[in-house]
Order: sequence, then C-alpha cells, then structure tokens
Amino acid sequence: MKFDIIIIGGGLSGLTAGIALAEAGKDVALVSAGQSTLHFTGGTLDLLGCDEQGNYVQKPLEAIETLNSKHPYKKLENVSSLAGVAKKLLERAGIATTGNETSNHWRITPIGGLMPTWLSMEGMSTVEEPNQMPWRKVALVNIINYLDLPTKFLAAGLREKGVEVDVKTVTLPELKELRQSPTEMRSTNIAKVIENNDLIAKLADEVNGVASEGYDMVLLPAVLGVTNGDKSQQLLKLINAPATYVATLPPSVPGVRMQTLLRKRFNALGGTFFTGDQVVEGIFDGNTLKGVKTAKLEDTVLEADNFILATGSFVSRGLVADYNHVYEPALGVDVDDLGLDRKTWAKIDVTEAQPYMEMGVKTDSELHCLCNGAAVNNLYAAGSILNGHNSIKLLDGAGVDMLTALQVVNNIMK
Amino acid sequence: MTTQTQTQNVSVNNFEQCLKCSICTVYCPVSAVTPLYPGPKQAGPDGERYRLKNKEFFDEALKMCLNCKRCEVACPNDVHIGDIIQAARIKYSTHKPSLRDMMLANTDFVGTMASPFAPIANPILKLKPMKAVLHGVMKIDKHRTFPDYSSRKFESWFKKEAAPTQDQYSKHVSYFHGCYVNYNYPQLGKDFVKVMNAVGYGVHLLEKEKCCGVALIANGMPKQAKRQGKVNMNSMRKAIAQGHPILTTSSTCTFTMRDEYDHLLGIDNHDVRDSLSLATRFLFQLIEKGEIKLAFNEDYHKRVAYHSACHMERMGWVPYSTRMLRMIPGIDFVMLESQCCGISGTYGFKKENYERSQAIGKGLFDQIDEVNPDCVATDCETCKWQVEMSTGVPVMNPISIIAEALDVETTRKLNNLD
Ligand SMILES: Cc1cc2nc3c(=O)[nH]c(=O)nc-3n(C[C@H](O)[C@H](O)[C@H](O)COP(=O)(O)OP(=O)(O)OC[C@H]3O[C@@H](n4cnc5c(N)ncnc54)[C@H](O)[C@@H]3O)c2cc1C
Ligand code: SF4
Ligand code: SF4
Repeated sequence: MKFDIIIIGGGLSGLTAGIALAEAGKDVALVSAGQSTLHFTGGTLDLLGCDEQGNYVQKPLEAIETLNSKHPYKKLENVSSLAGVAKKLLERAGIATTGNETSNHWRITPIGGLMPTWLSMEGMSTVEEPNQMPWRKVALVNIINYLDLPTKFLAAGLREKGVEVDVKTVTLPELKELRQSPTEMRSTNIAKVIENNDLIAKLADEVNGVASEGYDMVLLPAVLGVTNGDKSQQLLKLINAPATYVATLPPSVPGVRMQTLLRKRFNALGGTFFTGDQVVEGIFDGNTLKGVKTAKLEDTVLEADNFILATGSFVSRGLVADYNHVYEPALGVDVDDLGLDRKTWAKIDVTEAQPYMEMGVKTDSELHCLCNGAAVNNLYAAGSILNGHNSIKLLDGAGVDMLTALQVVNNIMK
Repeated sequence: MTTQTQTQNVSVNNFEQCLKCSICTVYCPVSAVTPLYPGPKQAGPDGERYRLKNKEFFDEALKMCLNCKRCEVACPNDVHIGDIIQAARIKYSTHKPSLRDMMLANTDFVGTMASPFAPIANPILKLKPMKAVLHGVMKIDKHRTFPDYSSRKFESWFKKEAAPTQDQYSKHVSYFHGCYVNYNYPQLGKDFVKVMNAVGYGVHLLEKEKCCGVALIANGMPKQAKRQGKVNMNSMRKAIAQGHPILTTSSTCTFTMRDEYDHLLGIDNHDVRDSLSLATRFLFQLIEKGEIKLAFNEDYHKRVAYHSACHMERMGWVPYSTRMLRMIPGIDFVMLESQCCGISGTYGFKKENYERSQAIGKGLFDQIDEVNPDCVATDCETCKWQVEMSTGVPVMNPISIIAEALDVETTRKLNNLD
C-alpha cells in the first residue's frame, strides 16, 4: 500500500505530525501498536519546566537557549513559532488550551504539588504564581469510592501553601451502582455513566450541596469529557463557586480526550489509521527506507516517500532494553545508549534523574535517523524516542513531542 | 544464558507483559455500561494470576465479555486480554448452555431448518405472539428484528445459476460464504461472484462448509466449534491443493478461522491461514500488483460511512476495505469513529443483554444520525442487523457497494476477458 508519508506510532508526536501533513494535503498513514502515553498525562502540556540544574523555569524560551547541544530543541529552527503552530493545531482539533510559550503557568499535580507548564486544557486547575496561591479557602470534592484522586496528599499539599482545604465527597445512585465492581470505579467509566445518563445537573446539585458557600475554588477530579470538552465545561458552569478540575491518576480523562480528538481530526482529514498494528521490519535500499512490514498486514508492504518514527520511549516499546543492550525494535536504527555500562543505566534512588531517560535514537541535525552511522535520507524521528533529554527531569515531554514532529513536517515539506 | 532466560520468559497470551497501565479499561464497551462486569484488566491478566493459583477464582461474570477484542487493540503491550478471558471461560466455566444459547449458536442448523419455510418463518418471527414466546420462553429479546431467512439458500442459487459458468475462467478462488450469506442474505454472495467474475476469477464453493463456530465459542460450546473447525480446515486444504486462495466476505468468520481456531480451540491452521483472506483485501492486493483493474459507473453517487467492525479492527485490515471504497469515484466517504455496535453476534439477541447491547451501540448510532449517510459500509454481518435495526440506515458490505458501482463491461475489457 502506497502513501506519501507513513508515521509509525500514534501518540502525541505521531498524531501531531499526521495532522500537520494531512492538513497540507498529503496522503498520510499512521501505524500504531496500541494506545499511547497520552492516557497518563494530566491535561497539561509541558514545554520546559526545569533547567538542567533543576531550577523551575518561568520563561521557557529563554531557558531553552541554555540547554546543552544534544537536546532535541537544538534541532528546531524556531521554537517560538513552532510552539504557536502547535497550540493552533490543537485548537483546530477541538482542544482549547490556556497558556503560551513566553511564560509558564503552574499546574496542580495529583499529589498536591505545583509544576510549571506550557498549555493547559480548558477547565484544568492552574495558578499563575507558585508563591501566591489565588485561593484562601478551597473545597476538594471527590466522588465516593473513586480511588484515583489521592485527596489526602492533595489537601496536604495545598495546606502547605497556606490554603484552607475542606475535603468533601459526593455520589449519585448510578455511581453507587458502578461501585459494585470496585476495580471498574475508574475515571473513564465514571465519565461514561454520568454523560450517557445525563447526570451532569444532578452531580452539580450534589457538589453545590456540599460546597455551597464560602469557597473561592471548588476542585473536582477530572472525570468528565471523554469524547469532547463540552460536558466537562457544562458541569463547571453549573457549580455556584468557581470550579476547576485536578488531574487524576491514570487513565486520565483529559488525556483520553486529547487522544480521541486528535485521532478524529486525523481521520476527518482523510488520514489512514492502522490501529493496533506493529511495525516489525524496515525494507532499506542503501540509505533509503523503501517500506515497512507490520505484524498484521503480513505480505502487504507499506510504502511511502517519507517515514517518521514516533514510537515513544521504553514505556511504549519504542525502545527496548534486554540484559545487555538498548535497541530500537521496529526498524533497527542506531540508538544512543550513552556508552554506559549496564549497571549504570539506572540509579537505585528512583527520585534521582535516571540516565536511561536520556537514551534514544540518534538523529542528524535534520532529525534523520541513522543506520550504522549513516543518515537514512527519508526517515525521521520525533517525540520521546529521541535521545538527549530527560523529560521527567526537564518537564519538556509534550513540547519535544509536538515541536520535533512539526519540525520534521517542515523538513519533509521543504 | 541471560539472553536465553529473557527470550524464554514468554507467558501464554503475553499475560505477564501487562504493565497495569489500565488503558484497556478505557475501551471496554461492556464495563462502560454495566458495573457487573469486572472489565478487561481484572477479568484478563489480573484475574488470570489468581486463577492460575486456584480455579475457584473464576468468575462466571466473564461470560459478559463480548470477545470484541477492543481491549487488545488498545493495549500497548500486546497482552491478548480477550484471549485470556475466553480461554478462562473454556477452561473453567461450569455453566451449561441453555436451549436458547444452543439455538442461537447453531446458526447453520437453524438456518437449514428455517430456509425452506422462509415465507412462513419470516412473518412468524415478526409476529407479536411469536416474539412474546421467544422473549418469554426462549429469552430472545422481543425488540430484536430477526434477520430474514431467504427462501433460496445461496448454495442452491450458486449450484444452479453460477457454478456451470465458473470453469471458463483461467484463475480461481474458493469462497467461504458463511451462514449469513447462505441463509439470510444470498445477495452478498451473488455480489461477490459478480465482482470476481468481472476481474477474471472463477468462484467455487468448498467441498464442505460448516459455520465457522464463532457463536459456538461465545455460547460456551467449544467442542462443537472445534469439530466444525476441523471440517472447514480439511475442506480448505483441498481447495489450497487445487491452487485456490480462499476468500470470505465476513470479517468475523475470517478472524475466527485465522486466529481463534489456533489461539482458543487448538486447531492447527498454520498451513491454511495465509491462504485465507477477506475479499476486499484480496482485490486490493491484486489491484496494487497491477494484476486486475476495476472500472466504475460514472453516474454512481453515494454517501458512505464506514463502520470498523470489532474483529476487522482486531485483524488490522480496516484500511483494505476503506481504501477499496475510496477508489470508487462517486463515493463521498466518511470514516466513523471506531466503536462497538453492541450486537456481538448472538449476544445482543439475548433478553438479558438487549438493553446493554443497545447502550453499547448508542455512540455509534448517534454518529450515524449525525453523518446522515446513504448507507453504512461494514465488513461484518451482525453489525448490519444491529445498525439497520437501530438507525434505519441501510448497511452494505463493501463488496456489495463495489458490485453496485462496478461497470462490468468495461471492467471485463480492462481485464482482457472479452
Ligand atoms: C506516566 C507519564 C505521565 C506523563 N505526564 C505528562 C504530563 O502531564 N505533561 C506532559 O507534558 N508530558 C507528560 N508525559 C510525557 C509525554 O506525554 C510523553 O513523552 C509523550 O506523550 C510521548 O509521546 P510520543 O508520541 O513520543 O510517544 P508515545 O505516546 O509513547 O506513543 C508511541 C506510540 O507508538 C506505538 N508503537 C511503539 N512501537 C511501535 C511499532 N513498532 N509499530 C507501531 N507502533 C508502535 C505505541 O504503542 C504508542 O501508541 C508523561 C509521560 C508518562 C509516561
Ligand atoms: S492495556 Fe495491556 S498492559 Fe495496560 S493494563 Fe491492560 S492488559 Fe495490562
Ligand atoms: S474483549 Fe471486549 S468485552 Fe471483552 S474485555 Fe475486551 S473490550 Fe471488554
């Protein structure tokens, strides 16, 4: 099967590239082995939250200048303009966000911390200044038996910042019923029960009942709006006090929503999505990738003029480690293992920056992958599979995904 | 040594690959509508750990699983969640299928009985008193419209009308028509023959064809499914020996015989699997290789919304059908968001499942309403019943759409037949 461009990996990076290329009128295919790490993200996108010394960053564009030369951002022609393009691309897919690249704002983590971030999906709880909490008194309202919102941590974290916090709980008969299977009392199922049975007004009544007066913010778990943001906005509007959502533990409803809306957009633009299939082999002719084979298409080779590898990091099996090596399993392109001995890949203390996080595929200055040291002229890499940065330490995950994807698109369209 | 340990450390159905990420729980259509079902993660890899220790941990609620495999498609770690669940049912369930389940599962037996009486059976199955009996006694939901039984089986039509002319072609395929084409909707089989003949392929039936057994597996009758599966595999081997590829027009039959036979029923199908394909895939591959050409009527126009049937999605073959449809110039193509329609073979026919089945499908029905197409295209026959009953929009197999749009004369010329 022949396309203009084939993208391997359907996470934030692959979808960003896919949408941008389809918008430019290209015939694009996307192959993805299962769902992506967007399901774990909290409805906010980071560009750069920390510098290499570990200090929080307020002005990401300035701090990006100070990053070392191996960082993927150093392969972007214009960070600021790509960041603007990314925000607009999300908007066209129906994902409204607040924030911009010139100044970070702060998101609330599920355990009550504050982290700098770039874009937040509409309705997510954020603050402008970490040292100046805008709320005096907050009601943290959880749903009874919903375990993926650690309210104790959250409340303790906020109290530490001088906010008075009352923890409240609400429920509805339909949610009580859902509890019959405790393992299924999860965010997306709660969302489906509330949305499919038109229970938003009832839930708002319950919340208003426990957080009627004296609160300048009501915080709710982000468990509404799986397929679009309308329902989640609707609830906020019906609550008497100002109300916003805090991220929960996975699966994350805002993350699922982002994935769903991006995929819808890609489909609507005429993109072809190979769902649940895995690229298992590349067919090379010298320094050109001719086609890829997948697990399920068997003898059908997927051919294209250009390819983008966006298969993610270890967690998505874009990179694989065995007892001795780190390798890229889909096409076998060159991986930067930092030249480290196996014993030093990881640090025992999990809170330390982990060396393996900086491993990834090697690319040239135009983000071409390398094979045995030589650039493959029509194969690019984008997203968290790239080497040279630690997204947990730098808080730059979504930024690297989207911006390298958009740069690759520009490189292809040149 | 270390590499060896690592590569050998592979569990059945990849169940140890589970990372506990919970992504599968987002995509299960059943746990979204009923709290009684433990969901893919718990019913699958989590529960399996317990069941391996003690079979007492087996939960009959697993029968609520539709076997739609949407959890598997979503899993980033290739855990065969649906297989784990179905294998557990086969291994541990003590539930005996009821008469109703046996009836629903034996599609070819019931079809054989109903076909000769179709003019009588169809109206009777639609009568209120009959529906009340089915609902009350048989526990088949009264809201269901039964697919009509055709008065003339596809096989009978084929033998009389098509078989005599098939040997004039130089290339040949065997056709596994499935129960649906045979008893309920011979038109699809006729459409298939029309398209294949137009591109120069003669069509033949298998020496013996049995229901693929998907409904038997779902209704807890794996032994009978296995017996039928063996008959099918033997017939297919004979066709392959004659050099025939075997084609179907049903995604579910294809998936069952290619994957479930081996994974769930332990039927050795390795020598058949590669020769067994879906008609749209076969045609697409021939067009790509430049071996055949299709020409379509210029005045053909249709707004078509494609629905990805669960097993089609699981096979990963959706793009073969959608790219085939998009080749037809007169088609205004819309891709529907992939969602389960809720019927899942015989599942939605059961009284206890009806409401759940409709709740599962609601998202899809709403989408179809919104898109307002002339027809919905899908590769699965049971989706057709469900979507037609629930939305009133006609549903067509891609092969039927191709047959409808095909300019037979020009196509035959392009393929040097006349
Ligand atoms: C737990 C967690 C929480 C995070 N939270 C945040 C957050 O709050 N904010 C933020 O900005 N960032 C966050 N990140 C970081 C950021 O979301 C990820 O870095 C980013 O989503 C990665 O996107 P990607 O497209 O590069 O890869 P992925 O999302 O990993 O997608 C890769 C896709 O490729 C598929 N794939 C792999 N191999 C193959 C193959 N051979 N063939 C076909 N397909 C294949 C995978 O199945 C997967 O679907 C988080 C990351 C994690 C893991
Ligand atoms: S999606 Fe796969 S890895 Fe994740 S919990 Fe489900 S089975 Fe486990
Ligand atoms: S096969 Fe379908 S119904 Fe069964 S657990 Fe998986 S997603 Fe749910």
